[in-house]
Amino acid sequence: MKRAIASDSILYRTDKSVLERQRECLKYHNQLDQAGDNSNFAACFSNSIDGSIGPDPGWENGWSCFGLGSLEMNYGTVAEDKEIPSSSSETWRSGNFKKRKLESVKGVGALMEEDGKQNMNKKMTGVFKEEEEDDEERSKITEENIGSTTKSITKKKKVIKEQQNSSNGSSKSDYIHVRARRGQATDSHSLAERVRREKISERMKFLQDLVPGCNKITGKAGMLDEIINYVQSLQSQIEFLSMKLAAVDPRPDFEAVDDIFGKEIITAQTTDYKNVVMPSQEMVNSGYLQFNPIQQVVQSSEDETTINMFDSDPSGEARPIWDSEMQNLYSSLGFDQGLSPLPTYTNCQPLSGSMNTNNLKMEM
Amino acid sequence: MQPTSSMKEEFLKKWQMGIQICGPSIDNTSVSERKKVIKLSADVAMASLRKGTTCWSRALIQKTATEDNSLVRQMLSGIKAETLINKTLPKKTLCHRKIVRRSKKILMRRNARSASEEAAAKAKKLVKRKTQGLRSVVPGGEFMNNDVLLIQETLDYIVSLQTQVNVMRSIVDATEAGIER
Repeated sequence: MKRAIASDSILYRTDKSVLERQRECLKYHNQLDQAGDNSNFAACFSNSIDGSIGPDPGWENGWSCFGLGSLEMNYGTVAEDKEIPSSSSETWRSGNFKKRKLESVKGVGALMEEDGKQNMNKKMTGVFKEEEEDDEERSKITEENIGSTTKSITKKKKVIKEQQNSSNGSSKSDYIHVRARRGQATDSHSLAERVRREKISERMKFLQDLVPGCNKITGKAGMLDEIINYVQSLQSQIEFLSMKLAAVDPRPDFEAVDDIFGKEIITAQTTDYKNVVMPSQEMVNSGYLQFNPIQQVVQSSEDETTINMFDSDPSGEARPIWDSEMQNLYSSLGFDQGLSPLPTYTNCQPLSGSMNTNNLKMEM
Repeated sequence: MQPTSSMKEEFLKKWQMGIQICGPSIDNTSVSERKKVIKLSADVAMASLRKGTTCWSRALIQKTATEDNSLVRQMLSGIKAETLINKTLPKKTLCHRKIVRRSKKILMRRNARSASEEAAAKAKKLVKRKTQGLRSVVPGGEFMNNDVLLIQETLDYIVSLQTQVNVMRSIVDATEAGIER
């Protein structure tokens, strides 16, 4: 028994790998053999090395314990060689079979948690839930599974791999996929908050494209400021333009408004040549006739141009763009007839849609 | 996302219709009256383009309906004016001011802040104030309690404002050119 204890102490002392320990055991055993000692030890050690734990009648309590221990150690190190090499000495020293097994499984659990942090999608073995859950919940489930140590490690690993594959394949449209990066909070509230913020920033990008001079500004407050200014300027522009439309003509009121109508009708006709004839057009034209014979000419020339436009494009499918039409109209008005275009008119010329506030200020 | 030509056409048609509706009543009125009518009809035309799908258009229609109900009704005859005018906007979220203030105080006391946190809080406050400003600018903004919704509506509103301005400007130019001749 003293020798047995000595061998135990040797084994405990060494913090080496299993093979080395077993080699030492063999050495010790050989020494014992050379000393001509009991052959029971040899049988015991061979058994332990082979890995089969058959009940041996010659065994004493301490030795059986040792044999089991070596086996377990073997098992543990095999498992840990695959996963976590650091905890091998601890498992050996604890000497308790169940504890060690638990620890080794926990090692796997730790590995799983690490995987979770690396955003590997997993669904757990016993649970088989279809839903996509965030990382924290997943890791919780893994911990639960650690509690039930019924399944072997290799099997678990396989299952995890399968789950990874399956979860990569299955993507449902009902769910918003949110992935928390390393170090980001993963509870549902902060996830929702993050989604909201991303949405807002996305919309803000659109706004940046829309509002001129907004793409140089960084920061949400500045951008909001710019947007407010822009909207207000647009509103005031509308106000101003409607004022201008109301008071555009030095002639009596009625004629002025009718003038607007006439122009509108013309433009409407250019945009839609199938348009129903407006009843007020005749009136407007007659008004022009009465007041300004030159304008009548202009009007007719306009009509001609529009007719030409639609003759060239009878199908109406590829209708010319509104802006280009307008520009055609006005070029025919202003330039083709050899009349000198006015400076204000040329300033107002950007009909192509890019209106700027500076223009308005200049006019004002 | 620039205003499209089809949108402009549609707006122009609607607007024209609106001005025609109140055409006879314009006759012997002052400039400001006419301006009001023109602006109102333009607003309704712009709002009716969206057919009540957006919050701001509904709010705008309701606002104009309080000013000139008959005009709005006639202009919106094609698309169920009643439903649009009487459509309820999303409810405004109200909280008691005193309670809010008290809770803020408690929060302030709870976390004594460092300098960086203070700056962040200031920035947040600024953004909040700006958002409130945007709410007041966009019609019906008070009803959008959701930031995402507010920004979306602002996007849409800006696009339609741009169409309106474009069309109006071109018409003004046309009339001016006509007068010069």
